[in-house]
Amino acid sequence: MSSKKIKNEEIRAASLLEKKSTRRNFLKGLSIAAAAGSAALTTGCIPAADAASTEELKLRWQEFFKKNYRLMTQEEKDATVARLERLSKLNANLDVQMGSYPPLDGVLYGYAFNITRCEGFMECVTACVKENNLDRKTNTQYIRIFEMEPGQLDPSTGDGQYYHEVPVDNKFYMGTQCFHCEKAPCTKACPTKATWKEPDGIVVVDYDWCIGCRYCQAACPYYGRRFNWGKPEIPKEEVTRRQHYLGNRIRPMGKMEKCTFCIQRTRKGRLPACVEACPTGARVFGNLLDPESEIRYVLKHKKVFRMKEELGTDPKFWYFID
Amino acid sequence: MTKLNYSCLFLLFFVGLSHSLGAASEKSVVDEIKNAEDRFDNRSVPLVEQVVDEAVLAKEEYQGGSFRVLARKAKIERYKCSSCHTDKPVTAQQGALLTHGDIILKHGSEDQGLSCIDCHHPQDRDYLEDKKGRKIDFDHSYQLCGQCHFRQKRDWLGGAHGKRVVNWAGERTVYNCTTCHNPHSPRFEKRFPATYSVELD
Amino acid sequence: MRALHERNLRTFLTDVIRWNLRGSLGVQLFRLVLVGFMGFGVYAYSYQARYGLSVTGMNDIVSWGFYISNFTFLVGVAAAAVMLILPAYVFHDPDFHRVVIIGEGVAVGALVMCLTFILVDLGGPLQAWHLIPVIGIFNFPSSILAWDVLVLNGYLLLNGLIPAYILYSHYKGRPADERKYRPFVFLSIFWAFSIHMVTAFLYQGLPARPFWNNPLMGPRFLASAFAAGPALITLILAIIHTSTTYKIDRSVFNKLRLIIVISAIINLIMLFSEVFKEFYFPTHHSISAVYLWFGMDGHNSLVPWIWTSVCVNLLATLVLAFNPGKNNPKVLLPACLFLFVAIWMEKGIGLIVPGLIPSPLGEVVDYLPTWVEFSVTLGIFALGITVVTWLIRAALIIEQNYSGV
Repeated sequence: MSSKKIKNEEIRAASLLEKKSTRRNFLKGLSIAAAAGSAALTTGCIPAADAASTEELKLRWQEFFKKNYRLMTQEEKDATVARLERLSKLNANLDVQMGSYPPLDGVLYGYAFNITRCEGFMECVTACVKENNLDRKTNTQYIRIFEMEPGQLDPSTGDGQYYHEVPVDNKFYMGTQCFHCEKAPCTKACPTKATWKEPDGIVVVDYDWCIGCRYCQAACPYYGRRFNWGKPEIPKEEVTRRQHYLGNRIRPMGKMEKCTFCIQRTRKGRLPACVEACPTGARVFGNLLDPESEIRYVLKHKKVFRMKEELGTDPKFWYFID
Repeated sequence: MTKLNYSCLFLLFFVGLSHSLGAASEKSVVDEIKNAEDRFDNRSVPLVEQVVDEAVLAKEEYQGGSFRVLARKAKIERYKCSSCHTDKPVTAQQGALLTHGDIILKHGSEDQGLSCIDCHHPQDRDYLEDKKGRKIDFDHSYQLCGQCHFRQKRDWLGGAHGKRVVNWAGERTVYNCTTCHNPHSPRFEKRFPATYSVELD
Repeated sequence: MRALHERNLRTFLTDVIRWNLRGSLGVQLFRLVLVGFMGFGVYAYSYQARYGLSVTGMNDIVSWGFYISNFTFLVGVAAAAVMLILPAYVFHDPDFHRVVIIGEGVAVGALVMCLTFILVDLGGPLQAWHLIPVIGIFNFPSSILAWDVLVLNGYLLLNGLIPAYILYSHYKGRPADERKYRPFVFLSIFWAFSIHMVTAFLYQGLPARPFWNNPLMGPRFLASAFAAGPALITLILAIIHTSTTYKIDRSVFNKLRLIIVISAIINLIMLFSEVFKEFYFPTHHSISAVYLWFGMDGHNSLVPWIWTSVCVNLLATLVLAFNPGKNNPKVLLPACLFLFVAIWMEKGIGLIVPGLIPSPLGEVVDYLPTWVEFSVTLGIFALGITVVTWLIRAALIIEQNYSGV
């Protein structure tokens, strides 16, 4: 009985496979349906294509195929910066001055944070947001300030979302941001080497090279990195015009970003925005290779410590107490 | 090569590898910093922004030599004090205001705080006076503040207290004591933070 | 089937397409449903491509979510094909030889799903060419993600080309030369272990995430993969046995049950080991486990998820182990399904999301996928099922025709 059933099935299968005339019709109908379906899908799917000029398309084409910034010659870097400036003008009618200046010789940036002097005013946060053209819609902040209970140094025991008069008695304030580790786990994790440590110690991201896999964000033990989940929105009048390719230029959607020690400022000798804004002088910045610098004075004369030192990341950001 | 030679070579390679790996894991940026003793020429850095506020050469030196402090005299509204404070009597039409009635003195503890004469020179009002009777210029008030607040002054000279103005490189210009601290009420006021962090949804 | 002398590579491809466009009404409806899911998945992805990943439930703290969870689980399913290849080629089990090709079809389908999940998770998918060596930069061997790209694509090639060669030879009516592909089969056995260990190392190698940074991740991944994968294969073999003429011997099911039981028990032992380490003396490193199993700061959305998963896992393992129905498929098949779902829950969301919560600075959020993530995931699952059914259907037709000849 079962063998007959199998035989019938086999005959049916064979006959199905050999119907030629219906096969052609079926395939014809299917292809028409597929074409109509895909047309409907694609018209619903294509994002609204802006009326882009040929110049803009040409610039975007060149930008798409460029190399990793680290491998570019200085001419190529200047060329890409010029293209980005032009694109900014075409897209948003925004005049920016973008730089591609290299690191300074004999400089290794270091940072110190005085947890006795920080009073939780968060002027650093607003200055950073403004200087680095951070997305206002999602309230992206590179710097986080925690209101801490004395007796515990772990930020998880603190409150990162306080909003009341500060300073509160018997509480101290601690700030975090990217610590620019010498042995950064994020640069090791990146599959395309879109993030690396520059010779002057700043860990940077080539935003156009990044593929947005967010592995570096998983690897960072300090919550130093931020991802552009959407398109960043900054009011035109608040955009900082003096930019650097690796620093505060307006990032594309779907790319990783982070504190760059204000590379657009520090490579020209200026203090980062957070240091300049702090009203209590709790932040110290300078050249670690200069034995006469303030940061070296702090490391020599103060009791300093680093966050999560046991992880072996070797950050260049120290905390100290007066 | 004999078996012994091969095994010796292998051992040597292994020891060398482990040594280099071990050495690499102990090296830290702190060691690199300790070995960096060469003088760094701050002035070699091309500055894009200059200090606009008036600054004077400080009367003391820090670990890198001389430096500048922001001048204060231009910021004092009614300097020179000697325009009023002379031997001759003065008719005060806006008495309360002119006699410094707007100054709240809250320097030190509640009942044993400082008085005006503790800092200001009783005869020459254009200057301050320290406890050793020396005349101190308003631009160099750190010499006075540092008498009591010697720890902060030492830190301020080194760079752990206070701040540089505008640049980390170039000639060092720092904030004066009174640029940040109101000398009559030096403690920072409590205030609301400039912003807050939103909770991620 | 067309005549033997007419068959060539072109007809091979057209025949495969032809066979997969035919079938009964039920099969066509099934295909239509899959196409529908895929179409809606494409629409959801285009929405995501336009507005960015902000339309998903992910944020800076939970930076990996539903997509990567499914990717992690499916790599295990792909690796589980080795549990059919091992008995077939190393132990020369003739019953397993018959079903090896089905396992490889499942592996290819699972791998296609894995690679698609990674692609939809990327913030800059157009920049994916940056990974290609020479024209881009490939951070090998430092980045484990680079290793993963390499091993996954290599495994796809192995599991795609070996069966393709065998099937094409059988299609042409001649036996496949085992000397040609046997070394690659052995390579694929080692490779299967390596794809899952490398995927585990992606998480294991991050000192920033103490929930993942333990040496048991790699072996645990293998154990759960070899429980869930063969469970799925059992279900697929049961469907093939009942709905086609390709008959599979009972012994295959019995042996698969044994493999599943052993792997599931090892998985549970490893789970116990992890739980012991986290909760015997909880340290700061245990806060992720506390969040997962007991909730934290009022956030406890994953607590019912993980407890359900573990209880169902335990129950299914016991049923499969003690075999109360004496190999009754009505008992064993649901047990396999439940085990598969339980391991999907625990190895997917139950592994990825708690690893990221609390954030490195101790902040706790909850994660819930949005409609975009659900739709794209369903679309990708539909794609995987389509790939698997296409490959298996073609394979079975060729094999039946070949053995009939």
